[in-house]
Amino acid sequence: MKYRRARRIGHSRGGEWGFRDALRAVARDGEGRWLLVGDEQVVVFTSDGEPVRRWATERPGWAAAVDAEGRIWVGEEGRIEVFSPRGRLEDGWQDELFARVTALAVTGDEIFAADVGSRWIHRFDRDRRLLNHLGDRHRKGGFHLPNGVLDFALDVDGTVVVANPGMHRVERYAPDGDLLDRFGAFGQHDPAAFPGCCNPTNLALGPASEVVVSEKAGPRVKVYDRAGGLLAIVAAGADFDPDCKNMDLAVDASGSIGVVDTVGRQVVVFDRVAGPEPAAARGAPG
Amino acid sequence: MSRDYTRRDVLEIGARAVAMAGLGGFGTLLAVKAHAGDAWWIDPDKCINSRLGTAGAETCQSCATECVLTLSAIRAVNEFSKCGRCYVCPAYFDIHSAAGPDGLPSKKLCPRDAIERLPIGWIDPEDPANNFYEYVIDEALCNGCGLCVMGCKEPAGLGSVRLEVNHDVCLDCNRCSISTACPEDAYARLST
Repeated sequence: MKYRRARRIGHSRGGEWGFRDALRAVARDGEGRWLLVGDEQVVVFTSDGEPVRRWATERPGWAAAVDAEGRIWVGEEGRIEVFSPRGRLEDGWQDELFARVTALAVTGDEIFAADVGSRWIHRFDRDRRLLNHLGDRHRKGGFHLPNGVLDFALDVDGTVVVANPGMHRVERYAPDGDLLDRFGAFGQHDPAAFPGCCNPTNLALGPASEVVVSEKAGPRVKVYDRAGGLLAIVAAGADFDPDCKNMDLAVDASGSIGVVDTVGRQVVVFDRVAGPEPAAARGAPG
Repeated sequence: MSRDYTRRDVLEIGARAVAMAGLGGFGTLLAVKAHAGDAWWIDPDKCINSRLGTAGAETCQSCATECVLTLSAIRAVNEFSKCGRCYVCPAYFDIHSAAGPDGLPSKKLCPRDAIERLPIGWIDPEDPANNFYEYVIDEALCNGCGLCVMGCKEPAGLGSVRLEVNHDVCLDCNRCSISTACPEDAYARLST
């Protein structure tokens, strides 16, 4: 599996459509548009990177998800907001369970919200009735999140795949919170392992349930198969500023990976191409 | 030639001495008071060991090598409210050292072994990654070399470890040698 750096989405910091203080999250909608969330705004770009529209959120945004109706859910500090595809506020949802919502997923029946206050993922039905938590059975009381971000993705089989950076693991849960499987261990030199104090920081799933993760110090993006076998190192070293951390991810049906460059405040897109991964791409982080 | 002192002379001399001592003491008190609000401190936003945006830089060890005291008056402190209680702490471990049989880095970062790694609560022996750890710095051993500060700096760590002046031992030199040597102008007098 091989990737090439294709393009950047979003304007630079000082640009008209740029992010002044922070770009924190990225998502794709059903039409392939890019949704960038940060500061206190959502900015929408076409798949080619042309700006479409933007709107304000009530609080700093940390996560984005798109439901089957095309509505855009934004995780914020203490709140979730729901917008129409054109950015009209349809709903604001405040709940004492939300300290900072850093990942979201919405299905036809359920809503999953990752909260760094509790260090759990809250599972609700669409009427917002709490069904259960994921991560609350950990001996640590929740996921171990030194980075202040909790990220997860829903797989096609309904399982929930979570980055647990303080334990250097990727964990797979049943929706009711049962831990089904896990992979990963600390390792500074083995590219398949997770280096530093707390990696991977962020996670997304590819079209064939590949697990795509990002790491900090040094910033790196990798792809694993479902069982934890390393398939590719997508980006490392010079691809990002060494101070990048908590790089959110979005993967489309073709396998293209959008990575939030938190220093440049743009999304860097890596397209999947045919052929083996070049040996030079492999190696330990800097 | 000797002089016979009367009782009055003795009383006058005594009174003058007391007055002089009083004036001197008052002057000293004024000087101390004038300086009492000043203290040497390290600006963490200037110190290269803790300043953000310098990932990969060499650790500056001037605080350890330049102090006139045998054991520098600078020490590292871990701000527990910011600490992640990590299983693999990059301030405690030399994370680039080869992995040991337990999968953890085989070397510690601190050359003076001044950091203690203490498990919090009961231990899960089956799954070491399933434990929290508290990292406590022994002031009596720390010489302020800054290696742990650089190790814990964002983005590698959380920036919970920083260098501080230990005012209990600092001689408060008027012209501090660390301040003179500091390449980042991070060591300065602060009015408190």
